[in-house]
This record gives sequence, C-alpha cells and structure tokens, in this order.
Amino acid sequence: MHELSMAMEVIELVQHEADKNGVSDIEEILIEVGDLCGVEADIFQSALEMVVKDTLLENASVRIIRTPGKGKCSACNVEFEMKNRLDFCPDCGCFASEVSGGQEFRVVSLVAE
Amino acid sequence: MCETCGCGNPDETNIHEPKHDHEHEHQHEHDGYKHTHPHEHAPQKVIDLNKDILLENNRLAERNRGYFEGKHVLCLNLVSSPGSGKTTILEKTIRDLIPTHKIFVIEGDQQTTRDADRIEKSGAAAIQINTGTGCHLDAKMIHLALKKIEIDTNSILFIENVGNLVCPALFDLGEQKRVLVISVTEGDDKPLKYPYMFQSSDLCIINKTDLLPYVDFNVDNAMNYAGQLNPDIKFILMSAKTGEGMGEWYDWLEKQS
Repeated sequence: MHELSMAMEVIELVQHEADKNGVSDIEEILIEVGDLCGVEADIFQSALEMVVKDTLLENASVRIIRTPGKGKCSACNVEFEMKNRLDFCPDCGCFASEVSGGQEFRVVSLVAE
Repeated sequence: MCETCGCGNPDETNIHEPKHDHEHEHQHEHDGYKHTHPHEHAPQKVIDLNKDILLENNRLAERNRGYFEGKHVLCLNLVSSPGSGKTTILEKTIRDLIPTHKIFVIEGDQQTTRDADRIEKSGAAAIQINTGTGCHLDAKMIHLALKKIEIDTNSILFIENVGNLVCPALFDLGEQKRVLVISVTEGDDKPLKYPYMFQSSDLCIINKTDLLPYVDFNVDNAMNYAGQLNPDIKFILMSAKTGEGMGEWYDWLEKQS
C-alpha cells in the first residue's frame, strides 16, 4: 500500500510549500495522477483522507485529475491510448516499448486562504 | 505549467490571485427585516507547484547514488516477492565472494532481525531496517542507514528490499542496478501481473530451478513476458541450493563493478 506513503509525502511537500509561502490554511489541493504512474488514484485519495487529520490539509478539498495513459509504438511510431502497459499497437500489432504519457504524479496547485 | 507539452519547472513556484470575475450580493435578516450588502471573499492565494510527489525521494536517491559513486561502491537493490530465495542467494554469494570482496548488506523487513542475523553469520556486515507497517524501503531510510554503517570504498552493497513486487518498484534508493528475484514455485505470468517491477529492473534471476521438474513453471513464457515489458532485462537461471547459475551471477557482478 505505497499510496499511504505517497499521501504522507504530499503532506510534507504541502507543509514545506505553505511555510515557504507564509500560508497556514489550505482550501484546495489539485493533484494529477497518471493512469500508468503506478499509483491507484482512488486508493491514493482514500489514503490522503486518512492521513490529513491535524495537518494543514485537514479541511482542504482534494481534487484529482487523471491523465490517460499513452504509448508510442517502437516499430511504427504511432501514438495510441494505452490502458495497460502490455497493450499492442493498434496499427501494426507489435508491443509498444515506450510509455509516452500517463506517468505523471504531482501536486499541481494549492488554494490557500 | 507549459500548456503545449505539460512540463513544469520544479523550481518555479508561481503565486497568483484566483480568477474571480463575478460579483454577487447576499441577503440576510436582522430582527424581522431584510437587507443586502456587498459580499467580499476572504483573499485567496493560488500556489502553482507542479511538483512531483516523489521529488524528495528522488532527490535523496540521487544523493545516495553520488555517495556510492564517490566511494566506488557497487550498490544493488534486490527486489522480489516473499519467499523467492533472496536471502539464501545473498548468503551463498557472501560465502563465495567474501575472501576476495568487501561486502555490506542493508536488510529491509517489516519486523525481526532474522535476515540480518543470517547475513552476519555468512561473514558480511549487515544493518537491519524494520519498516514496521511499511511495505517498501525508500531513499530516506537508506540515507539514514548509511550513517550507521561504515561502508568501505571499492565494496559491494546489497540492499535486500521488503519482499513485495508492487510498492518497491516506485522508490529509487540510489542503486546502480536493480536485481529482481523470482522463483519457479511462483506463476510464470508474474511479469504480466507486476509490470512495473519488471520494467524497472536490470536483471531477473529465476531461482529454484532445481524444482523445475516438479512444477508447471514455463521458463520461456516468463522470459517472453518480461522481455515484452522490458527488452533490456537480462536473465540468470539459478538454483542457490545446487549452485546452478551462481558463476554467471558472479560474472555479472564483476561486469558492474
């Protein structure tokens, strides 16, 4: 359940940024989770809800944007939507060797009072 | 964030007021009469971060990697499912190589010092990290462990990660190479089930080959699946019990040093 560790990383990161920017109350946090980043967005959101108590994110609304997975075929260079890391290239049928999108996992922005 | 390619400069934090182009009034009652007055929002700040959530881990991992390079230490991160034989492979490796190599081990387990005790008996200095409820090692744990164990220059450091094919895949520890151990008593479709680990590893040891006559594990299937996910991954078929593949493993280690 690495999502829990990730949730705790988020709190540390936000605390650091809040201190740097002189804010103490976060109203909203926007997080981008790519479909192929290895973190399950739903589990991550639940994990974050579990660990925010008594932190500056306690009252923040958590918005998660999902980025769809993309693959680039190593044989014919076609870009296609990749749901699974083992998806075939829809054009030539070979295995895409490169994941070209959906690996994002980042805090995009905070709204602070 | 760049709207064309989606990239963001991690050092650039941008703060601005939220876009708020509407005006409204609100209405409430005082002792039976109503009135309205302009409504003002508390001032808000939008802080654009675009910061990778694993940034801190990756920063510490790079720091660990620099430490290893500076001391000419070959650091290998051993990952596997539980019970695939990592500790037995390590014990045998240490016994065979300790006369000619300096070897150190960082052991990661949820509880107990059993593995570190086994490793120390085979002759290498070991330090145990208990992750408690944690399911993986991260770069910070390694960073702290390195302060407690004096690693010699020109040595080999094995980090035995928590037996788990999911979570350790996402955490760079600062190793030079990641070595994945699976065994033939598991399914040969492991690569399909745990693609992140197979994609992020440099070498895959398929252990317990002495048991192949008794199990349904198809070595070709496992290698094909893993190769589809990661065309650069290398394989060694091994039985730490009979010694099969150990020579090939030592040759691989020599090439990395």
